[in-house]
Parts: sequence; structure tokens; C-alpha cells
Amino acid sequence: MRDKFLLAFRSIRERKARSILTVLGIAVGIAAIVSLMSVGYGMEYAITGELTGMADMISVMPGKIMGGHTYIEMGGFTDRDVKDLQRISGIKDISAMTYDSVEVAYQDERKPTFVFGGDTKDLESFYVEPVGLKEGRWLRENDYKGCVIGDQVANDFFDDVIHVNDKLVLNGDKFVVVGVFEKGGMLYSNDVDRNIFLTLRAAKNVLQTDEIKYVVVRVYDIDEAEAIAEEIKEVINDNHGLDDFTMAMTMGSMLEQIGDIFNIIRGVLAGIAAIALIVASIGIMNTMLMSVMERTHEIGVMKAIGAKSRDVLALFLLESSIVSLVGGVTGCVVGVIVAKVLGFLGSAASGLEITAIVKPEVLLSGIAVAVIVGVLSGFYPARKASRMSPVEAVRYG
Amino acid sequence: MGKAKTRKVECMIHTENLCKTYRMGDVVVQALRDVNMEIKDGEFVAIIGPSGSGKSTLLNLLGCLDKPTSGAVFIGGTDTASLSENALAEIRREKIGFIFQQFNLIHTLNALENVALPMFFAGVGRDVRLKKAEELLVKVELGERMYHKPSELSGGQQQRVAIARSLSNDPAIIIGDEPTGNVDTDTGTAIMQILEGLNREGKTIIVVTHDAEIAARAGRTKRMRDGKVLE
Repeated sequence: MRDKFLLAFRSIRERKARSILTVLGIAVGIAAIVSLMSVGYGMEYAITGELTGMADMISVMPGKIMGGHTYIEMGGFTDRDVKDLQRISGIKDISAMTYDSVEVAYQDERKPTFVFGGDTKDLESFYVEPVGLKEGRWLRENDYKGCVIGDQVANDFFDDVIHVNDKLVLNGDKFVVVGVFEKGGMLYSNDVDRNIFLTLRAAKNVLQTDEIKYVVVRVYDIDEAEAIAEEIKEVINDNHGLDDFTMAMTMGSMLEQIGDIFNIIRGVLAGIAAIALIVASIGIMNTMLMSVMERTHEIGVMKAIGAKSRDVLALFLLESSIVSLVGGVTGCVVGVIVAKVLGFLGSAASGLEITAIVKPEVLLSGIAVAVIVGVLSGFYPARKASRMSPVEAVRYG
Repeated sequence: MGKAKTRKVECMIHTENLCKTYRMGDVVVQALRDVNMEIKDGEFVAIIGPSGSGKSTLLNLLGCLDKPTSGAVFIGGTDTASLSENALAEIRREKIGFIFQQFNLIHTLNALENVALPMFFAGVGRDVRLKKAEELLVKVELGERMYHKPSELSGGQQQRVAIARSLSNDPAIIIGDEPTGNVDTDTGTAIMQILEGLNREGKTIIVVTHDAEIAARAGRTKRMRDGKVLE
């Protein structure tokens, strides 16, 4: 066996340039698979990781989602709705929030924005903990004249950058900036970057409404979350005499949706990688066919001095497996490096901590796929080589 | 080989009404017509004739590289037509050593490895193989150049490597297709001397040549013309 390796290795080395190109072809295919899968896993982990911290939450909104992703607001909740929710068993904590669009003024400039108001403790665990503050501090319950602003409000809205202690005017009321958020990143950008956060009392005052637009419920037992969500919908719909007034989404169902999305993404990534691999295997087949043609004479000589068809077949198959194994291993190494780089770039771009997750099974299957592809695409040329008539092959060349 | 037809003959090789035709487009070429010949154990036979007379075709059939269109080749009493591809490969490996005009060494392997190659296909262990290959190269006076690639050897040296290779599985028959055709006269003489030596050791030797001087050194000469052996 060792000698067969030596023999195959010799002929690979003899055709250095072409062997290297073939190895590269396979390596690119495998690197594509490994890096895309690893980054995919990393993204999934980063996003679900952030969400699982909120797994005991149910988001309740007065509206419904149409056509899969467009949220249509149907009105607002009342204090009575919130009181009724408190009677549902299994609920640990309820936090009512309100928000609406409003005009913000700084010196002479005016911009449309959203005001978000709620229980300061709830808002803190919901937004401040994951996103973080760049400047200042978070709101206290009695900060009736204080506000915390998102990254875009601070940096992009006005000619000057807004800092802590600057004053903003909302509907005629003056507020002092006590804190500024970091960039919200992929998950929180919508909720944080363009918003101004107030205490619930101040928000109701500014927006001149008692309507609640958003309720977050925490449950004791995550397994009961779905049932509790159903009950919440029933209770509030009864209060308003409508069938589909309320939407109550558990984090669990959001995680499921995200899982579905990731399956699709992974499928697409695998598809791209598969195309790369098909190209690579055509490359191997081409190399091996060329090798067979180039060595027709040599094959004839080997047969003339007593090689059987299966000896020739074995040599050529061994050659293509070595080439593809080297390609597979190279591809894995390159794939891991590319995945790390992509993860790093992705983290910088999204603000989310994405670390490529390299699963051993991805590496192993990458190498296995390379060898299988190598052997399969080497098989036709190898068989062709082994079936040559010795006298014709010797005469060739 | 148990299934093969066998007969009792003293001849190492004999043919019966051996015919070979090639089809080249619409033209049918009769390369061999009813060749009947016998070659006894330990003979040194030279086959001569002009090019196109069918001598190489005959040699390929005797060497089991090709199959006859009709008729039969018997080697040691076995009808080769009845054998499978694998069995024929075994005969080429164990009973016949081939020497070509173009030497036909494997250019990626050095002299030693080239000589060891037939033993490799025969499944001989590495150490035994390399030791025997070394002995054979010493025998053809190439002990100094064992690790050289064919491209680093002269034509005569390459042909001596090829002779050593043909001996590696200790075959009873050595077949040479114009073995001196690609080397100068002196080297050709030296190669013939080696073949004569092998013949003295008991090998059956069949050589195709169109050099009458070389042919004169053989024990028996067969002349061919138009696909027939002239007696």
C-alpha cells in the first residue's frame, strides 16, 4: 500500500502545476462550505443567544401582522386591559409602555421621531442591558424632565452632536438629556436608534394619551407561555369586543420563526457551496482525464509488464483521492480562517457579537465530501485508463 | 488457468493458423496470415523482415499484448485465447519479459524503481523487490546509476534498465521488439551480448530486428513477408 502511495504521489508531483490547481479548486469548494456554515452557525448563535435571555417574555401589541410582516396598529390598550391581565395566573410581571411619533426640537431645528415611555426598570432590562449606554446614565422613576436618546438622534438629527445635559423640546416641554445609547445593531436598531426614551408619566404627558401601545409580560414558567399568550388575547379582545384586536407573541415563537429563517439561510449557503463543489469536481475529472490521456503510453507499458486492470484502476483512484484529500484539508483550514474573518467583519458591521462557530462535524463532512467527490469524479477517468488495450496504449505517443 | 485447454507439447510457444486483421477505415489490413511456428524451450529466435511484414504484430500476439483474429497462441501448452484479461496480465507478468525499441521506462521513476515495478504488480514485498532490482541492475552493469531517472541515462543505459526490468519476475521468455533499433552499433552489440548471456542461462529469447548482423547472432532466424513466415 505504501508503495502505491509513493507511485501515485510521484505522478502528482510530476504534474505539479496542474495538481496544485486541482487542489485549489477543491479547496475553494470546501472552504466555501466550511466558512459559510460556520458563519451561519455563529450568526444563529449570536441572535438566538440574545433572544433566549428574554425567553420568558410575551410581547402584547394592539394590532396584527398582515401579509406576513406588515404590522397594522388597531388602537391602544387601556388601564383596564392591564388590570385584567394582572388577574391571569402564571404572570410574574407586567410592564406597560406607550410610544408615538412626535416632533423633537433642538435650538431652531425640528425632526420627527418616536417617543418611548414605560416603566424604567422594564425598559432598562429590555434595552439598556443589551445595547448599553455610550454616555450618561439611565432614567430614574422620578426623572420627569429627563430623557435618554438613541444614537441617530444624538449624531445625525441635528447640525450639532447632542450630549448629556443638552436640552430637547418635545411638544413644547423641555427635557434634559441624561444619557445616550450605543448603536442598536441589527436587533435593536429599529427600537433604539431613532427614539427618545422617557418615563411613562412624562411620555403620557407629551403624547397626551393614556393609551398603551405595548405591553411586555413576564411569565414564571416558559412552558406555559403559549397558553398564557392565548389567554391574554382572549381577555383583551373581550374588553374591546373584537376578534383580532390583540397580538401576543412569545419569545419562543419568535425563536422558532428565526430558526425557520436560519434553515432557509443555511439552505441557500449550502446551495452556493454545492455549486462551488460541482465546479471543483469537474476540475478533478478534467485533471484526471488529462492525466489518463497524457499517460496512455505509460498505462500501456504498465499493462505490458504485467499490471492488471485493477492495478491501474487503483493507482488512478488513489491519485484522485490524494489530490482531493489534500484539497479537502486545505479547504477546511482556509474555510476556518475565512469564517473567522467574516465573523469579525460581520460583528463590526452589525454591532452583534458574531463568532464563527466551527463544528467538528462540518470539518469532517467537508473532508469526507472532498474525498467522495474526488473518488467519484476520478472513477470514470480511472476506469477508462484501466480498460485500455496494452498494445494500443503502448503504441500511443 | 484450470479451465484453459492444455496439450502435451515440448514447445514453449507454438501458434496454430494465427491470423490478425486490422480495420483501418474501410480498408482491411491482413497483418498476419496463417502463421504456424514453434519455438522450443531455451531457443534464441530472431524474426526479420521489412517493415509492414507483420513481425511486430506477431510479437504482440506471442507476448499476449493482443488477441488474434483467428487461430491460437499456445504458451507452455496453454491456449491464450481462452484466458481472461487478468490471466493474460499474469502471464505477461510471470512468464514473459518485454523489451521495447523505445525502452518504455516510466519517466517518473528511477532506474531501481522501474526494475522493481513488475515485482510490485506481482505483490512482492518492498525489501525483496528492491534487493532483487539492485542485483539485476548490477548484472546489466548499471549498479552505479540505480537512482537516476530515465532522462538522466543514455539510450544504451535505458535499454539495459529495460532488460533488467524484463527479468524482474524471472520469466522463461524474453521478447524484444527491435531492442537495438534505437542505439548505436556498439551499444547494440553489447545489448545482444547480454541477451546471448541470458539465453545461455536458459531463457527463451525472441527478437524482432531488421538488422541482418544482429539476426546472425541468433540461433535460428525466421523471415517474414506480407504477414507470412517464410521457412
